[in-house]
Amino acid sequence: MDPTLTAITTIDFRMYAHWIVLLPMIGFLLELLIGQYTWRKGGMFANLSIFGSMVISYGCLYNVYVQHLGFWEYSWDWFYPGIVAGFTVDPLSLAMLCMVSFISFLIHIYAIGYMGHDCAKHVYFAETALFTGSMFGLVLANNLLQLFIFWEMVGLCSYLLIGFWWHKPEAAAAGKKAWMSCAVGDCLFLLGIAIMYTIMAKHGVTTEVISFNQIFQHLEVLSSSVVFGIPALTIICILFMCGVLGKSAGFPLHVWIPDAMEGPTTVSALIHAATMVTAGVYLIARAFPIFLAAPHALAVVGFFGAFTALYASTLGLVVNDLKRIFAYSTISQLGYMITILGCGAVIGVAAVALALFHLVAHAFFKALLFLTSGSVLHGTSNTRDIKEMGGLLKGMPWTGWTMLAGALALIAFPFTAGYYSKDRIIEEAYVYATGHGSLGYLPWLFLVLGVILTATYTFRAWYLAMTGEPRSYLAVHPHECDWWMRTPLVILAIFALGLGLFTKGGTLFWHFLEETFVTATNTVSGIYPGIDLHEIATLGGNHLLEHGHAAEISPAVIYLPFFLMVAGLAIATGAYYRNRVDMSKYIKKENPLYQLLWNKYYMDYLFKDILAEKIIMTVFTFWDVLDRYVIDGVVNLMSWITISTGQVSRKIQTGVVQNYATAVIFGVSLLVILVKLLGGV
Amino acid sequence: MIGPISAIMLTLVVGAIITLLTNSTAQARAVAIVSSFIALAISIWMFLTYELNPVTHLAFEEGSANNWISSIGIGYHVGVDGIGLPMVLLATIVCALGTVYSWSESKRPNQFFALVLLMDLTLIGVFVSLDFFMFYVFWELTLLPMFFLIGVWGGPRKDYSAIKFLIYTHIASVIMMLGIFAMYYYNGINTGVYTFDMMTLLHSYPTLPISSFWKNFIFGALMFGFIVKMPSVPFHTWLPDAHVEAPTVGSIILAGVLLKMGGYGLFRVLLPMIPNASPYFIYALALFGLVSIIYSPFAALAQKDIKKLVAFSSIGHMGFISLGVAASVAAGLEGPRILAHTGAMFQMFSHGIITAVLFGSCGVIEHHTHTRIIDDLGGLTKKMPKFAILMVAGFFASLGLPLCSGFVAEFSILGGSFQTLPIFVALAAVTIPFTAGYHLWAVQRTLWGPYNEYLGDIKEIKWYEFATLAIWTILFIVLGIYPQPIFNMMQDTATYFITSGNILPIGGIPI
Repeated sequence: MDPTLTAITTIDFRMYAHWIVLLPMIGFLLELLIGQYTWRKGGMFANLSIFGSMVISYGCLYNVYVQHLGFWEYSWDWFYPGIVAGFTVDPLSLAMLCMVSFISFLIHIYAIGYMGHDCAKHVYFAETALFTGSMFGLVLANNLLQLFIFWEMVGLCSYLLIGFWWHKPEAAAAGKKAWMSCAVGDCLFLLGIAIMYTIMAKHGVTTEVISFNQIFQHLEVLSSSVVFGIPALTIICILFMCGVLGKSAGFPLHVWIPDAMEGPTTVSALIHAATMVTAGVYLIARAFPIFLAAPHALAVVGFFGAFTALYASTLGLVVNDLKRIFAYSTISQLGYMITILGCGAVIGVAAVALALFHLVAHAFFKALLFLTSGSVLHGTSNTRDIKEMGGLLKGMPWTGWTMLAGALALIAFPFTAGYYSKDRIIEEAYVYATGHGSLGYLPWLFLVLGVILTATYTFRAWYLAMTGEPRSYLAVHPHECDWWMRTPLVILAIFALGLGLFTKGGTLFWHFLEETFVTATNTVSGIYPGIDLHEIATLGGNHLLEHGHAAEISPAVIYLPFFLMVAGLAIATGAYYRNRVDMSKYIKKENPLYQLLWNKYYMDYLFKDILAEKIIMTVFTFWDVLDRYVIDGVVNLMSWITISTGQVSRKIQTGVVQNYATAVIFGVSLLVILVKLLGGV
Repeated sequence: MIGPISAIMLTLVVGAIITLLTNSTAQARAVAIVSSFIALAISIWMFLTYELNPVTHLAFEEGSANNWISSIGIGYHVGVDGIGLPMVLLATIVCALGTVYSWSESKRPNQFFALVLLMDLTLIGVFVSLDFFMFYVFWELTLLPMFFLIGVWGGPRKDYSAIKFLIYTHIASVIMMLGIFAMYYYNGINTGVYTFDMMTLLHSYPTLPISSFWKNFIFGALMFGFIVKMPSVPFHTWLPDAHVEAPTVGSIILAGVLLKMGGYGLFRVLLPMIPNASPYFIYALALFGLVSIIYSPFAALAQKDIKKLVAFSSIGHMGFISLGVAASVAAGLEGPRILAHTGAMFQMFSHGIITAVLFGSCGVIEHHTHTRIIDDLGGLTKKMPKFAILMVAGFFASLGLPLCSGFVAEFSILGGSFQTLPIFVALAAVTIPFTAGYHLWAVQRTLWGPYNEYLGDIKEIKWYEFATLAIWTILFIVLGIYPQPIFNMMQDTATYFITSGNILPIGGIPI
């Protein structure tokens, strides 16, 4: 073997995992400070640093997956005993790292072309480098606090990038909306961490107090803790889940996602595929044993996820903005991932593996879909309404055909990535249902219904954009994107179609991921033994299946999603390609269902017009009055009393000696009488 | 040979006198900058060579009890510990950079810069005094330079605000003084030693056999004096008015350092007295903190003047200090209690730096656009991109962004307080989105959106404004990533406080 290659294979990349986080941070600083004076006025440092992180990430994967060097965790003390900064390399973090670094790198390459003419390009690249670096930090975190810190940093970057074109009022408002929706969940997440810290301290843990592995080791004692009369772990998990709903756009905190399309399309791709919304799913996966040990927590997670999956896919049906259609599909697909994690109450760690596989597959095809829609925007002078497109396939074949690949993966067309990831999730949701009575079928039912809607809205978008006749002059002569942009599209398309095949239908991936939690993790000072999830599950009143599989599921159930997908595809083809149905009969103002969907179930109205503009405005106007006139009023009243008293008493100072003498005599007599009355001296 | 604390104070006195004698902006600011940076250098040297005396738990102690007017027990006695020294450091950092920030002050520059130096001096005096007489004198003296800074260099309603500031906080101080006198008196009749020495008084106070009325009076009077200074809702109304009218550097020092006197009083004076106080005072303290935390975002959202908005943010952040202190003295595990306590101390330092950036930003906006009304601003990023970066950094640090120092403090307070005050912590946590809301709202209306052309052609931020804001920004980011130097210093002192037995059997739920 080549000696340099041998040398590389002897490197233990796991020891350098913190550089995965640090490199993009350095890239951020360099880009911000001197980026505009370098190659193409920005982008070099960001791309190089992400590439460096990618190399280390894949090095770690090689160490663990091929060389079997074992899982590795190390930490440094931070500001208080027991609060650490630590990094953990295990299959869960590796799966995320390799996906995030690869996709983020492709998006960065694409952005060299896409953002080519933007005058603040160095700021853009600085922010995306920070965005990616923060996501690495989140993924590698071995403890809750560090995860939260990078969780917020990811939120900051999304705020800045969604509002990147700050001069557009909608962009600035969208950034604020994203932060606010997340903040609602994040404050509860932080409260959950505070509770976790407290109960861990209460049980005598002094080192690595809120590190995941340490918590896992203590789940048995923690399950006896009670806060506010409810099992502490359940409260903590529900609070964590609130954070997840914000970040991963779960109902009802999903409202920021469609507005977030105001940012550059590359940012949308980053947010939806790699660096933001997946954080929530990752948190549940990372804290999965805690959820498993907490009574009822996973059931709540499952129902919220399934409801979100169906809810968002109905919204996708009526939107006309190409990017927003894909945005709703992201919310929906995240719902699938969260649902399967909820089903972990029955299938155990397999849930984490399935959720992560769908997460990775989704990352590929969703990044692809966003980058292709970015290419469409780029080629048609920012046309975003699919009603104004049409026939783009002729003018931009690279974009059109790669978008088709992404769309097929999204609807889980056989042998694409989505087919292996999503259909398996639906299958396992059925397994979950069989053990949970009639109500347990609800998540499965929602997911299955979601399939048909997904196929319909996805191909509605593709047919309307790519086929037929151009419906506006901007769509007549679209120009195809350059090679900076084309190359990532092709690579992503290959993975969107082939990821399932490369991993033997996902089994390679699943087997690797299923080692998480149950296998020991080495640290500098010792070893965290693997945990027995079956035992953990009984703490939360859950019973895992042996090997994570039910006895037999009827083939009808297994193939149902496929047939529903075909049905949805057929509807879309009939209505939007062959034009057999006149859709204007249904899509009109008088149709109450259409109205409901078009207004997004009035959620925006509820949050913005009612909650923000009516209730909170009223409260703070009232508050201002209270502050000005009541609290400060008392202060001013007191000073007024003092001043008036002074003015009155000033009049007594007449300068006439007789008056003074009278007053003295009167006062002395009064004193004498008082003393007598009180039985004094 | 005088010690470093006396050296700092001497430098500032001499500096202030020389500054007063100069007759141009350039001369005045040169003298002021030199003397305030010498003070800063000495305090940094103190910070680097800090070593506690294990017996007294003090460092750089100078003088002794009763060595000045020994007949009534007054002495020149100064020294610092893990909370005093960071406060001295904060005062010198904020004031030194404050003099640079006021580079172009042209109205009576000699008096202006002399007052800034006096401000620095009196604040440091409060933070180092170990004698109640000195403490009270410096406490009152801080009012004078600030009164003149507001009254002479202030905005349109400067007279009302200056008088209100002076009288309001003066009344609180007088009540505090009554408490000090009562303590002095009862200590005298019980032990036979009449002294104002803080260490002696606080040491003997917990064991003094005094009636519960006087016990509560003394504690209540001191606490009142401190929470008005912090300020805590509902005793806060002097603050927004003072800020709105004060010149920028006045606001920076007022919010950055002067408010910390109240918090410092809690740590230095009130905590050692706790064993001899009613637990209801601790609940009251926690409640004052919580009410301030909940109150400030709503009040801030209603403001039209960005400086007033920032002033209200201070009230909320100071509320975290009361909450952390109250939680840390209730019965519970030591680990979280020390965390809460240290967090409250760290919040003092952190808020001082962050708020300096916020008020500095308001000052920049005012100087460049001649307005502070949020609705009249908009799209400032177009003309001032460098300024936008600093202002965004400051506002996000203030709303509690991780990797900035404020988050370390807030997490410590919330995480450490939950065991003793769970409901309070839960309520404080759910107000975080509102806090985020008004910060984002202000940033959006000021920096983003289309540029408001009515503002005319404004210039990019000046170098001295940029430099000072940037240094503060770097400081709070560095302390957010690596808080250990200051956090651990405070932690030692917090551990000393907590483990020396100041436990009250209040609060706490079985977890």
